[in-house]
Amino acid sequence: MKIDKGRSYTLAIHSGIFLLGAVSATSADMRSLDDSELASVSGQSGITLEMELGVTADKVSYYDDGKGIHLEGFRVGSASDPSGQARHVVKVDIGSDASLNLDYLVEDRRIEFSDIRLAGAPGLSMGGVFLDHSLQGYLNIKPGGAVGGSGYTFDTAYTMTGGRLGYRTNGNEVFLDGITMDVEALGITLDVVGGTLKLDAPRVVGTWQVEAIRYSGNPLNHGVSNDVGSGALLPSYGGLSGHYELASSTDIRAGGREGEGLRFDSQTTIHSASFLYHDDGNVLALRNITGNMNVQDLRLDVAPDWQNRPALALTLGSMAGQFDIGAIEMGAESKSIGEVNVSFLFEEHAYNGRNYTNAVYLQGGGHGDAGMQGLRLAAEWSLRRADIAYTEDGNRVIFSGLQSWGRGDITVNVTREEVRGGTQYFDGLRIGFEDVKAGYRINGLKIGSDDAQLQGGTELLLALGFYPAYEFELDGQITLGAGGASGEGITVNSDVRISNGKAAIIADAYDKGAGEVSQKGLWISELEYDAHARDMTIDATDEGLDMVTGESWGTMDVGNLRVGDKSAGSSFGRFVLQNYEVGSSMTIVPGGAGDVCAGGAGGTQIVCEASGGIWETRGEEGITVRLKNVLARAAGNKKNAFTWETNRQLDGNGNPVNGTGTRVLLNDIYTSDGGDFDGDGIDDNTFGIRTDLAVDVYQTKVIKKQNGPDSLGVLGVKGDEKIMDPNVAHGYRYVGNPTQGDLTNRPLGFAVKAQSQFKELSVNNIDLVHPTGGAQTAVYGVMMQNFDIRANLTATPIP
Amino acid sequence: MSIAGSAMFKVLAGVCLFSLIWPVTAEMTQISDDAMSDVSGQGGIYLSGDISINELGGPVENSYFGRCDDVTKKCGARLAFRLKETGGWMVLDELRGSFAFEGLTLGTRTIDSGFGGDGVLFNGDVLELGLPNIVRFDDVRFKIAASSTPRPTDTGFQQTDIFTVEMQGDVIMEGNLLVFPAGNP
Repeated sequence: MKIDKGRSYTLAIHSGIFLLGAVSATSADMRSLDDSELASVSGQSGITLEMELGVTADKVSYYDDGKGIHLEGFRVGSASDPSGQARHVVKVDIGSDASLNLDYLVEDRRIEFSDIRLAGAPGLSMGGVFLDHSLQGYLNIKPGGAVGGSGYTFDTAYTMTGGRLGYRTNGNEVFLDGITMDVEALGITLDVVGGTLKLDAPRVVGTWQVEAIRYSGNPLNHGVSNDVGSGALLPSYGGLSGHYELASSTDIRAGGREGEGLRFDSQTTIHSASFLYHDDGNVLALRNITGNMNVQDLRLDVAPDWQNRPALALTLGSMAGQFDIGAIEMGAESKSIGEVNVSFLFEEHAYNGRNYTNAVYLQGGGHGDAGMQGLRLAAEWSLRRADIAYTEDGNRVIFSGLQSWGRGDITVNVTREEVRGGTQYFDGLRIGFEDVKAGYRINGLKIGSDDAQLQGGTELLLALGFYPAYEFELDGQITLGAGGASGEGITVNSDVRISNGKAAIIADAYDKGAGEVSQKGLWISELEYDAHARDMTIDATDEGLDMVTGESWGTMDVGNLRVGDKSAGSSFGRFVLQNYEVGSSMTIVPGGAGDVCAGGAGGTQIVCEASGGIWETRGEEGITVRLKNVLARAAGNKKNAFTWETNRQLDGNGNPVNGTGTRVLLNDIYTSDGGDFDGDGIDDNTFGIRTDLAVDVYQTKVIKKQNGPDSLGVLGVKGDEKIMDPNVAHGYRYVGNPTQGDLTNRPLGFAVKAQSQFKELSVNNIDLVHPTGGAQTAVYGVMMQNFDIRANLTATPIP
Repeated sequence: MSIAGSAMFKVLAGVCLFSLIWPVTAEMTQISDDAMSDVSGQGGIYLSGDISINELGGPVENSYFGRCDDVTKKCGARLAFRLKETGGWMVLDELRGSFAFEGLTLGTRTIDSGFGGDGVLFNGDVLELGLPNIVRFDDVRFKIAASSTPRPTDTGFQQTDIFTVEMQGDVIMEGNLLVFPAGNP
């Protein structure tokens, strides 16, 4: 370590581990004790040290193979007084077993950096970070580690109060406010084995709470809960809380991916944990979390990225693990939508003939127009395999073989509403995407258990707004603002553009057990898609999770709807879907359909069965989605319209040229309440299309449709019912007259109880467009009124 | 676009795509055993259920529309369109009823042989809708009419009812509907 004292001084540290200790020891104020204070110092009870600590450093630098990262504007002092000091009281005692006991009290301390810069990137900064806190606790250090006498064993516990953790760019801040934390970690061992520093924590227990996550767009505010001008409480995204009990083992070695640097390997087991989001007294809770994670060969270097830009590099060998979330609760009654289990493996793998690794290169600057401060993450990822299981009321569906890959730049800035450099910014935390080429795909479904047969049916995800497979190039931004529809919550403003997209509507498996193959299916290919949302508020409410969009518009231009291969399959032509909605919303409510009379009518089992229906008790868990889509009338370029184009001319490469073919156009599609009831001269449009979807995982009746063997060779007769049986080949058989026992083993699928209604849905005109003859109107208006469509549908994957 | 909008858009897109594809490119064929042996399945989903339209009435309550237990009002859905810019409106009125089906399948298939030699020439993938064996219609009814205005509450509304359709019973729909992407895109 090198310290240059002077008017400004620099700490150059070749191992960042001792950063805080070094700085504190260097700059603590020493003062003499008076007689009364000396009288209180007893030799048998140790020494009490009181320090008023104030440290500033213009720059703290870390060098790796000659490349540096600089932490500028470093300060340790009072959190409430920018020029003040933080009070430290440390009682030091030596135990009879030669242990060192430290009881400490830290009051009103702030640790901060105003800028984090990389050598070779002048002017650019990652932004500033600050941490406020008061601490009270103890640290006991005993000789002897886990593997012998040369190490150490630590016992520690502390309580943090008044905490703040903030990130600041260009005068704007987002910070966790009012952090309280209780932590106990006993029996932590530190050993040096060969060239490895081994840190084992057999049990770490803690609870924590964040009173609010706040935003400030006033440059005069810094680490305060109330605006310094108006005195008003800064807007909040909501609060957080949780608890955890975990164990971890970490190995730290010298040596980066290239030359100097650090290597980390760790194993972490979560014995129990919870995570709660609070919004104006309403709670969204993830409870009964358990899991484990194994990180191998994580390297830290100061090294350039693939575009030779200076960066702090985090490169990963592999990371595997699994998490179980026992309950996802929301709403006033804390009902659960069910249980989710996730297993994952991040490691290098080839997708579409190209290798992807896992790496993040942290750089300064953020978005180009936002200012000199911001964070740019040049990222590459390879999720080689993940299985996501959803269980509700004991019924389990596994989305198996999820893969995801990508590479591109992600920028992070805290911004305020303004136009800078021609770019529109909004209040909040802005996450930008620049030239992100990415994709994901799912191999298939498994029902019941991990070793069940792989099936199709990933198309069922379309009902939740996800494609089973998707490749795309992504640019744009999402800004998360503080404050919801009222009080706490989140406000989203976003502008996203997807280019060269290929998304599956129906997708076959990419690996049926004999290696990866090209996925067959129905694809929207050559997709160009731009989407915009303004003032979309997200709130936890007494019902569940509520999302209300002020205005949204976009165009989905599907160059080809292909069947078969996503690039070479035959095309049905080009489809263009334009949308423009004002005041649309989505509410997610815990709990599915409950008791249902499928295929009949009646509110009780007897009445239902008498009408020819099947009485189904779908349980307490599940999920209900309430959608309201208000389709607005055309305004400028914003409208709802649908175009189908075929017979396009071909360019020199044999590709169809958009706009050269014959088109059918459904123009200006909009909803209405059916009249001008408020007298403003315009038809009211508040009802929209309202759709309630109650989704459960439930047993379904599946009938064999033809005599003879099915696609897997299982024999049956037309009309037989499919019954799951783990004791037979392929896990099922066909039964002509199922017993009551057989009926309890019907296959699982998704059961959807749906109701969709609208007062009026109109199409202004339907045109036929000839490439040379122009548009001819075929239908001068369509109006649909008073629709209420109800459905009970079950969807079961088939092999 | 909002998440809600995105989800709804995909559903609408799917419905619109299929509804437009069917009348233009669908070909009904009775596949022989020989042809069936050359068809390889590629997964998919199996759908069953029941759907009702305006079983109790719709969301509009005014001088014309009402709940179904109000005999003075119409409780069915209404669809109107016109083919002349200044003309009257063709109307599908008082639409209501329910139907149930079991075993509608949706997936894709590769066809590279069969079909009297056409399969070899096609050598590609098609969309396959496996038709439910029985579709049960229950009190499905609608009225065809001609109207002077699209809304029955508009000033000067006049309507001439032409005929009424009622459907009850089972419709047998066996086999598969294959959709060939065979045109010029």
